[in-house]
Amino acid sequence: MFSKILIANRGEIAVRIIRTCRRLGVATVVVYSEADADSLAVAMADESVFIGPSPASQSYLVAEKIIAAAKETGAQAIHPGFGFLSEKAEFARACAAAGLVFIGPNPDAIDAMGDKIQSKAFAAKAGVSVVPGHVGEIDDTAHAVRIAEEIGYPVMIKASAGGGGKGIRVAWTRQDVEEGFPAVRAEAKGAFGDDRIFIEKFIENPRHVEIQVLGDKHGKVIHLFERECSIQRRNQKVIEEAPSPLLDEATRAAMGAQAVALAQAVNYDSAGTVEFVAGQDRSFYFLEMNTRLQVEHPVTEMITGVDLVEQMLRVAAGEPLALTQENLSINGWAIEGRLYAEDPYRKFLPSIGRLVRYAPPSEGERDGVIVRNETGVREGDEISTFYDPMIAKLCVWGPDRTSAAEGMARALEDLHVEGLSHNAAFLAAVMDQPRFLSGQLSTNYIPTEFPDGFHGLSPQPWQADAMLAAALAAHDRLNRRARSVPGAFSGKAVRADWVVVAGGAKRAARLMSRPDGLDIVLPDEGRTLRLDAMDWRPGAALFRGVLDGRAFSAELSPAPEGFDIRLRAARQRVLVLTPASAELHDKLPPKTPPDTSRLVISPMPGLVVSVEAVPGEEVKTGQVLCVIEAMKMQNIIRAERDGVIKAINAKAGDSVAADDVLAEFA
Amino acid sequence: MNTILEELERRRAGARAGGGEKRIAAQHAKGKLTARERLSLLLDEDSFEEFDMFVEHRSHDFGMQANRVPGDGVVTGQGAINGRLVYVFSKDFTVFGGSLSKAHAEKIVKVQEMAMRNGAPVIGLFDAGGARIQEGVDSLAGYADIFLQNVLASGVVPQISVIMGPCAGGDVYSPAITDFIFMVKDTSYMYVTGPDVVKTVINEDVSHEELGGYRVHALKSGVADGAFENDLEALTQVRRLVDFLPLSSREKPPLRDSFDDPERQEASLDTLVPLNPNKPYDMKELILKVVDEADFFEISPDYAKNIIIGLARLDGATVGVVANQPQVLAGVLDIDASRKAARFVRFCDAFNIPLVTFVDVPGFMPGTRQEQGALIKHGAKLLFAYAEATVPKVTVITRKAYGGAFDVMSSKNIRGDLNYAWPTAEIAVMGPKQAVEIIFRADIGDAERIAAREAEYKAHFANPFVAASRGYIDDVIMPHGTRRRLVRALASLRNKSVQNPYKKHDNIPL
Repeated sequence: MFSKILIANRGEIAVRIIRTCRRLGVATVVVYSEADADSLAVAMADESVFIGPSPASQSYLVAEKIIAAAKETGAQAIHPGFGFLSEKAEFARACAAAGLVFIGPNPDAIDAMGDKIQSKAFAAKAGVSVVPGHVGEIDDTAHAVRIAEEIGYPVMIKASAGGGGKGIRVAWTRQDVEEGFPAVRAEAKGAFGDDRIFIEKFIENPRHVEIQVLGDKHGKVIHLFERECSIQRRNQKVIEEAPSPLLDEATRAAMGAQAVALAQAVNYDSAGTVEFVAGQDRSFYFLEMNTRLQVEHPVTEMITGVDLVEQMLRVAAGEPLALTQENLSINGWAIEGRLYAEDPYRKFLPSIGRLVRYAPPSEGERDGVIVRNETGVREGDEISTFYDPMIAKLCVWGPDRTSAAEGMARALEDLHVEGLSHNAAFLAAVMDQPRFLSGQLSTNYIPTEFPDGFHGLSPQPWQADAMLAAALAAHDRLNRRARSVPGAFSGKAVRADWVVVAGGAKRAARLMSRPDGLDIVLPDEGRTLRLDAMDWRPGAALFRGVLDGRAFSAELSPAPEGFDIRLRAARQRVLVLTPASAELHDKLPPKTPPDTSRLVISPMPGLVVSVEAVPGEEVKTGQVLCVIEAMKMQNIIRAERDGVIKAINAKAGDSVAADDVLAEFA
Repeated sequence: MNTILEELERRRAGARAGGGEKRIAAQHAKGKLTARERLSLLLDEDSFEEFDMFVEHRSHDFGMQANRVPGDGVVTGQGAINGRLVYVFSKDFTVFGGSLSKAHAEKIVKVQEMAMRNGAPVIGLFDAGGARIQEGVDSLAGYADIFLQNVLASGVVPQISVIMGPCAGGDVYSPAITDFIFMVKDTSYMYVTGPDVVKTVINEDVSHEELGGYRVHALKSGVADGAFENDLEALTQVRRLVDFLPLSSREKPPLRDSFDDPERQEASLDTLVPLNPNKPYDMKELILKVVDEADFFEISPDYAKNIIIGLARLDGATVGVVANQPQVLAGVLDIDASRKAARFVRFCDAFNIPLVTFVDVPGFMPGTRQEQGALIKHGAKLLFAYAEATVPKVTVITRKAYGGAFDVMSSKNIRGDLNYAWPTAEIAVMGPKQAVEIIFRADIGDAERIAAREAEYKAHFANPFVAASRGYIDDVIMPHGTRRRLVRALASLRNKSVQNPYKKHDNIPL
């Protein structure tokens, strides 16, 4: 085993590798860029080496700097993590040339799997099922029909140069091909100047299932079962789990055997992942092989008990694999949710910035589930524009899928982040959806389940009760304290009867204190809620309690009136009012939101790069009004209607916040 | 006997009916509550005791003798906010449009006098059409009576005004004298002369909202100290504000149980100030992480945002917070920021509220607009206010404290009691670049030398230790321990006693 290794990565994966190294007694060196000078990884590593400016192209992607850092610190091997240099064969070769061990597969294996077309050919040769299709020249429509019928409908007709949904058609019948083929060919010629077309089997409602493989330098390859990563947004995995709810034993064995065969065919000698696209009928076809540790590796670790980083280190050091296929088995179920710095309520726009508050759920076992939070940040750290905007990977293990999903939802209740927007409520929404719980996944899950974007979920009945209980208990506590200030001239007993208003519903509630909790009588509903183990103090961001035997945590913050409460995917303003005050609330007509059609509003925080219109100018729909730079990307703000500009409130160089008014129409 | 008692109830019911059902419905339709409804939300349940419910106007002109409503357009009395005494008046728009008669004015003056005598705040809820024109000069005299009481009460009891409808002409000057003005968004406006007069005099077409809505006063003029969505939120927040305040200048601010550990450390504050001195950060994060329970009542949050002012508590005791906001205009002191903070500092000093000042200030705003606008005098207000204040004053310099602005922001030499600096503090006459260009003017052409000089200057002054070595800073403290140090500092200053020289009153550069 190595005595010291260098980690050529950052963030949560650098921290993850350091953890295993510490356990194994291996010293660690991390490299860091300017932006990461104060990072958790740097604080945790035994040594750290500065390698340059924040952009990855000037730091984490510069092989020479990393190899020099390894030589300088006397590290024997380099773990590349994922991303950056992890799948660059030249880097693996450069390591070897410098006398360093690359903790990953041999460069030939990386090369073999690196090219999409070549890897498919390899896979086919190794007996791995590939998507039936035709990659050669297609003469004409008749030829296309012949090919389609050979493959079997439905088929996908796709421009070779296509992308972004352009130049793609799905054909379900012969007629579809006859119409679609010429259309796609024309589109391809027009859009890409390249009319080469290929036809392949179309997989309806596809699922993404992948097999974790592990090989050593002695020719042994095993697999550690599958992960399903079907919940994706724009090809970015959001929720992953192991095992897959789709697979049965036979499919699992077949898929595993194929993955192992492929890995063996390329002399694979590290941890790797063979990705498949699967149909709902459990048919599966090779997609690609990732020759590195995968982001979602923790779920495999949680169900197999194998530390994949440790195994990578051991095989890289030349040890033969101690694990055998026969001794591996699946234990329970694990789910990973990726917590991103993005705003799910605003079309998932990135939301970078400082983690003003970052309180992840506590790790370890609780009520039979195990929580593991893979993170590279601490409170006060910055999620910068330079790298992946991931805050953490929240991983939860349970004895079965239902308990793992419930455990994940509970863990998400316990998460508190301030300073930037994040997708915890979105992840919680998926955990609460009956479709997710039924295991009917597909890579179209998010667009199908949230066709109009994400707006949170309405609270389920138990969630509405919990929010009511939290608001009442918090209100009662604040109210009693406010009354305790000395110098009172009128001391009236603290009231017990309240009206709780949330989400348009009004509920009467009577508070009855017990020494160990609160009873909340709901006279109109003939029920009494029992709140125990209340854990909240004024100012705390999380309210914890047990309501009728069910433990919950809710984010609770004081609002100008009442509280804003988030429980899982539901968030509401909850008012606790006296009956008389509740009546007065009813007397005021609801305020009509201001007419914003006359306003041009900044959709995100950013820097105004240029303003393209002047007051008094007549503009047409679609005309560029100004350009805002955020996340290194220029966002063009266009007029959404025809009209005359009355005022421009921004100038080049201004910093604007989300919702700032940039311009006004007359 | 019974009929005699019933007569009282009958008369009370008559007074409570105000301007009648139709007018009350119209009031609701406009998104406004009535005068009595508002008081029921502002005050603790059943705590309101009304005075002068049966007062009627005494006008005989223009047929007014036939038109009398008991109460005469304003509801006055006393009540409690979380058990603590307050005096209130609430204009009743449903009766004569809330317009001010002599009798109406006398009712207000009565509660003002009682408040001063008995040491309790006065809260006025405004929703009125101005003077009772039928009463002529009597109405004007009534206004003046109220103004006088406002002035006499200033600094004696807290005075809070909430604008919840129209507030025009003579009506605006009473709120103007009080300590705080809050507005309700979209339903309130205040101006000296209304759109009609504006049109006649200067031929400008302008709406009520454009002339005196919350956007004008809470964002641009600074007349209002805050704006709320509706009556309900406004009144809830006024209750919250009163909880911070002493009832009069004769007492100390209230102490209440804190659920927040006075020793709480905040590791993340150690990374609040960015390494790059030109990069902004949010000073509010520091305030919220240091004060009790992250409970901060910000005053004028949308006006002169380059300075933050507001009330908070440290270990249960009220403090006034003043802080430069590096996120807006780099936290520079300009006319608006100086005025905003100066008035708040004087409020705190008047009511025995200790001052906690967080400093990150690059200096005063340069430019012709500022100079022509009398920045000298306005900036001097803040200097004056801090210097004359005798309440405990604790200062923490987080980053820049340059030039005259260093002196102004509660420095040691204007009687700061305890002045701390974070290790990231830079206390100097000006920023390194400007300083070097002046001291080494001869080297300006030589970029390399200038850079070297700048580095030298930075090494020498871009830290708190020079100031600390002269005693201008009492200690350099770790950011994560700021709360603990502030709590301790204020505890040590609890019995501070300083007297300014006797004078009739001072002459602040108004």
